[in-house]
Amino acid sequence: MKGTDFTFFPGCMIPLRHPQIELAARIALPQCGINLIDVRGFSCCPEPWNIKASSLEDWLTLASRNIALAERGNRDLLTLCNGCYSTLKEASQILKENGEKQTISEKLSPLGLSLNGKAKVKHVAECLAEVGAERISSLVRKPLKGLKVAIHHGCHLLRPSRLVSFDDPFNPEVLEHLVEALSCEVVKYDGYTDCCGNAVRSPELSLSMASNKCKAMKDSGADVIVVVCPACFEQFDFGQLEIKRKLKKDYQIPVLHYCQLLAISLGNDPSALGLQAHRVGVDGLMKKIG
Amino acid sequence: MVSVNPDFKKNLSEVEKAGEIDHCYQCNACVSECPTARLDSRFNPAEIVLSASLGLGELIDKDSIIWECATCYKCYEFCPQGTHPVEVITALKNVAYKSGNSPEEIKDSRVHVIENGTFIPLSEAIKKRRRELGLPEVDSTVAEQVKKIME
Repeated sequence: MKGTDFTFFPGCMIPLRHPQIELAARIALPQCGINLIDVRGFSCCPEPWNIKASSLEDWLTLASRNIALAERGNRDLLTLCNGCYSTLKEASQILKENGEKQTISEKLSPLGLSLNGKAKVKHVAECLAEVGAERISSLVRKPLKGLKVAIHHGCHLLRPSRLVSFDDPFNPEVLEHLVEALSCEVVKYDGYTDCCGNAVRSPELSLSMASNKCKAMKDSGADVIVVVCPACFEQFDFGQLEIKRKLKKDYQIPVLHYCQLLAISLGNDPSALGLQAHRVGVDGLMKKIG
Repeated sequence: MVSVNPDFKKNLSEVEKAGEIDHCYQCNACVSECPTARLDSRFNPAEIVLSASLGLGELIDKDSIIWECATCYKCYEFCPQGTHPVEVITALKNVAYKSGNSPEEIKDSRVHVIENGTFIPLSEAIKKRRRELGLPEVDSTVAEQVKKIME
């Protein structure tokens, strides 16, 4: 398949903490006609919680440097993470709408970088939606019939909708179509578009948010939580261990990034995807998938 | 006790820039949609906006309730007045950082990003896992460029 080339923006959390997600993306995406081109020099996006909280100016400067690096290639940028997506997309909007471009350009110039506004920032879900759910469905070698999927979109994929304009923030359907393309059943649950709680400072509050979502997902009969962000992944995967330890609630719902579910459904060997790194075991899920 | 912080007042324009702070009519749409407010009544986005617009400096503190914001942007989506409480809160956090009143983890994150270029350091363990998975080596040359631009 010839496909479309994208500049791959790996971010920090996936390559440096959950590389099995990167592996699934590098395997599955080219099979759908999405070619990932590696570019050297990217820094942290920077993440939209702590760095943005310390200085909007520094946040924008670092994001602009990454955008300028991406713009050297004549390609759009692809990210697997809602945090990177939110930062880079919002920053590229700010550079278009506000008068900050000049100041930022002056900072980038000594590094031999410039901003031309040509590279679009895209989330992997957006790129896959452009390939089309029907096309993806036609590529499926292992239909995941009967698998009940609780989608967790993650806040920064949907909001603020004025800036990210990815999907309807109240009734999203893009990821739903992509999950259904693999023959899975999407289950709806209370608090469907709510936050996972990862960015909340207090561990008790943060865990309660994750636990409330897990409970609603469990009640809906979900076999698996599907996310499109490593921060949400961590909050639900490692989070369920913490919830068991501290809140004495044991949900045992495996968590996969959409790229991992896609890789399995396209017929790639699940045992070669490094899924044993997940803290909530996936053996039961793999048995169910067959 | 209510107190006006004169230093905070000086920074108010930064906070006002973040959202249409004076347009807030305290309808509490943000509060009803806020996931933190649902679990902890001390966190009230409408009160935070009001307090900021009055120039009350008590939110500028490393233990302030502002750090519990989930940055989920529900308030941004639901606010009928375009006040965007989440952006007011981020601006308040910026004011707190500038005046040395932010929690340690905010400072630590900056040090990490500025010294390593990445939020998470590249460890030997992760290098090994990446090799085992057949993934390419991570580019570790970025730190110098980041330092240059942040100076």
